[in-house]
Amino acid sequence: MEQTDKILEVEDLTVVYNTDAGTVHAVNGVSFSINKKETIGLVGETGAGKTTTALSIMQLLPERTGRITAGSVKYRGEELLTKSKAEMRLIRGECISMIFQDPMTALNPLMTVGEQIYESLDIHNERKKSPKELEARVDELLELVGIPARRKTNYPHEFSGGMKQRIVIAIALACEPLLLIADEPTTALDVTIQAQVLNLIEELKEKLSTSMIMITHDLGVVAQTCDKVAVMYAGEIVEYGTLEEVFDRSRPHHPYTIGLFDAIPSLTEERKRLKPIEGLMPDPANLPEGCHFHPRCHQCLEKCRSGAVYRYEEGTHIIKCNRMEKGVQDGRVD
Amino acid sequence: MNDKTGKIKIKKKSQAGDIWRRFLKNKTAVLGLVIFSIIMLTAIFADLIIPYDKGITQNILERLQGPSAAHWFGTDNFGRDIFTRVVHGSRNSLLVGIGAVAIGITVGGLLGSVAGFYGGKIDSVIGRIMDTIMSIPLMLLVLSLVTALGNSLINVLLAMMIANIPQYVRIVRAAILSVVGQDYIEAARACGTSDFAIIVKHVIPNAVGPIIVQATMAVGTMILNAAGISFLGMGIQPPTPEWGSMLNEGKQFMTMYPYIVVFPGIAIGLTALALNLMGDGLRDALDPKLKD
Amino acid sequence: MSKYIIRRLLILIPTLLAVIFIVYFIMDLTPGDPGTLILGEQATQEEIDAKNEELGYNDPFLVRYVSYVGDLLHGDMGESWQSGRSVMGEILSRLPVTVTLAVGAILLGTVVGILVGILSAVKQYSFLDFSATAIAMALASFPGFWIGMMLILLFSLYLGWLPSFGAGSFKHYILPWVTTACPFMASQLRMTRTSMLEVIRMDYIRTARAKGQTESKIILRHALRNALLPVVTILGINFGALLGGTVTIETVFTLPGVGTLIIEAIRSKDVPVVTGATVMLASFVAVLMLVVDVLYAYIDPRIKSRYMKK
Repeated sequence: MEQTDKILEVEDLTVVYNTDAGTVHAVNGVSFSINKKETIGLVGETGAGKTTTALSIMQLLPERTGRITAGSVKYRGEELLTKSKAEMRLIRGECISMIFQDPMTALNPLMTVGEQIYESLDIHNERKKSPKELEARVDELLELVGIPARRKTNYPHEFSGGMKQRIVIAIALACEPLLLIADEPTTALDVTIQAQVLNLIEELKEKLSTSMIMITHDLGVVAQTCDKVAVMYAGEIVEYGTLEEVFDRSRPHHPYTIGLFDAIPSLTEERKRLKPIEGLMPDPANLPEGCHFHPRCHQCLEKCRSGAVYRYEEGTHIIKCNRMEKGVQDGRVD
Repeated sequence: MNDKTGKIKIKKKSQAGDIWRRFLKNKTAVLGLVIFSIIMLTAIFADLIIPYDKGITQNILERLQGPSAAHWFGTDNFGRDIFTRVVHGSRNSLLVGIGAVAIGITVGGLLGSVAGFYGGKIDSVIGRIMDTIMSIPLMLLVLSLVTALGNSLINVLLAMMIANIPQYVRIVRAAILSVVGQDYIEAARACGTSDFAIIVKHVIPNAVGPIIVQATMAVGTMILNAAGISFLGMGIQPPTPEWGSMLNEGKQFMTMYPYIVVFPGIAIGLTALALNLMGDGLRDALDPKLKD
Repeated sequence: MSKYIIRRLLILIPTLLAVIFIVYFIMDLTPGDPGTLILGEQATQEEIDAKNEELGYNDPFLVRYVSYVGDLLHGDMGESWQSGRSVMGEILSRLPVTVTLAVGAILLGTVVGILVGILSAVKQYSFLDFSATAIAMALASFPGFWIGMMLILLFSLYLGWLPSFGAGSFKHYILPWVTTACPFMASQLRMTRTSMLEVIRMDYIRTARAKGQTESKIILRHALRNALLPVVTILGINFGALLGGTVTIETVFTLPGVGTLIIEAIRSKDVPVVTGATVMLASFVAVLMLVVDVLYAYIDPRIKSRYMKK
């Protein structure tokens, strides 16, 4: 079959939250795909819809408020959005796993870490392994993430942040899922620990041939881990391509991507000041018309203020920006 | 999600407006406010609604009559109009409830500030005393105080107040501790700001929210307890109309004339219910994270 | 764990001493001297003085407090000024009724309150949630003794199903149990619901969902224990309110318990009985609070390990 290589295909995903303040358009027509062993980075500021995208794939959106209004999410060619709750439950943890941002709160404070890893194995124990075998697997997993197995009877509060995140990783990888979603896995950790945890994720991903969605706002993390990059802004992917394509400064880019790169300090380039992107992410309950980025864009054109946005496509590199359209360069407004 | 930012909110003007708007959106809370306002107005303008005499003058000819056009809630065993007694009784109940809580907040707030701000020995001594008072069931504490000090409105008020202090000590102390360790307080101290000014400017705004919520509910609880005390025959003595003592007097007639005990009980319940609804609404308005 | 319990038991001693001190102090403010009250108006001043001297009434307060505590250790709470009988004996003869009332109400209130609270939270905004919170709100607002009176009117007078007074049989306790449990149940229900709603939004619940855990197991294994922590914390305070409430409820149902004993004693200015009974009930609450604390440490490993280290 042709599709065997594609682990996940997200097509035109649209998610809204219904809140007291109105309908929040969190994700607006997001499409991307992941092949076997591949890692895709979802990059963008807080509020760009990265986590919502991830939760939609897992179907863990807040039940009362979050709703997927359009699109499709296919796991190895199978549509997930039409699956029943019970079917989806079997997919979670077994086929797709997730590592959450804050390890401090991601573990149940009243259960030993061993119990929490065991639970993961026990839920998806199709081969009816004995409790003893499962316990052995818990030990193995703990050692795998670099924690002595004897500590499995400890409670989460007895571990440091970095160690907790290792445990969260062990839980996520317990059933050797084909896809791992890592939602800012290092943001809440000390800088020195970040690299360790990141390396651990990379190493285990290689070992288990897992595909991964890496959600981050840190371009350094992207450069280190990803094969493909999707830059998200206001619920949309504004630029999409391979790591080389997006990181190659000689190629054309979305103004937002350029802004992101300009906002990080560089060791090789001499620059007096960092250039932050001016302005704030628009209110997702009240998105600007036209290109959502236009109020903050330095290269905003008249046509950016309304109507559909031009989609530039060259091979695997996609940029959603009117300036990519040929012959519009002159109509520039400053 | 983020506990720290959720708990510590410094209210500014716009925030107070937000809280008020959220409160108004909550239908049950507004209902509580409306009921409570009516009861308050009734208490204030009791004399205009119906003369006090009708509830106090004994009239044996009209004793134990059921509700009618002349006597909306009927009459009691002395022929007194129950409606009048319920209306005028609201004064005593509200006075005890609000009075005990108001004084409790003042004294408790003061002790709590001292305990939280100076810490150390003072803190632990105050803490121990408050813990002990709290571990004695409120009803028993009030009963023994009333026994020792004698039956009177002032003594019931005093007893309720003493029983009320510890919870405000706790709230204010916690509010202080949540800001005291923080850098900006150290900075203010380093700049020579007086302790009093720090308490007023930084601590009180933090404590106001929980205190208002607690106080609203506590007025209801105090009214219930005061009613319980007078139901036992302590506290305010007949013929002064008071909801709890009306129930006490009516108890022996209730099998034959249930209306005697129904109306004063509803009055107590409605007042406490209104206060609880308001308190709940205020809490949700102050901390909206539980709503969705 | 046993170390922790011993520690807590040791802390209980000063708490009890302080409770006794406060009660004894308050009761000591009562005007009048025991001699006059015991011997009555006809007695001569010499007789009264002699009686006061005999009872140690003229000793300084602290001396009397210490000797009271000393006697208490031997199970002696003095004699009633009215009947002359041993206060301890009177209380012990009344205690079973109050304990039956309190324990039954606690069980009823806890089980119903927590169960309905969980259901209410899990099915937030449903009809069940709406009616449960509304009823809880009403139960928490109307005075327990009045609810008792209404129950008597309904079940004893109109329906004639249950007796309205006395403590003869199981049937006699049904209405008092329900009445005593009402405010307690309401409080447990509201607390469980709020706490459960908070816990359901926690990250670790999402982690459990991400594992593929079933919703029912998520509630039972992850949410419930965490949600019960704050419920347990207020349990102690609720016990106090519940025991305080037994005084009025025993009066409504004319149950011969410690509560009615206190009321009778207050009416006749029988200070030793009021003191003794109050000390007894307050100690009961203090012990219950200790049980709650131990229970708390048992469910929360964070507390447990804090005490283990010390």
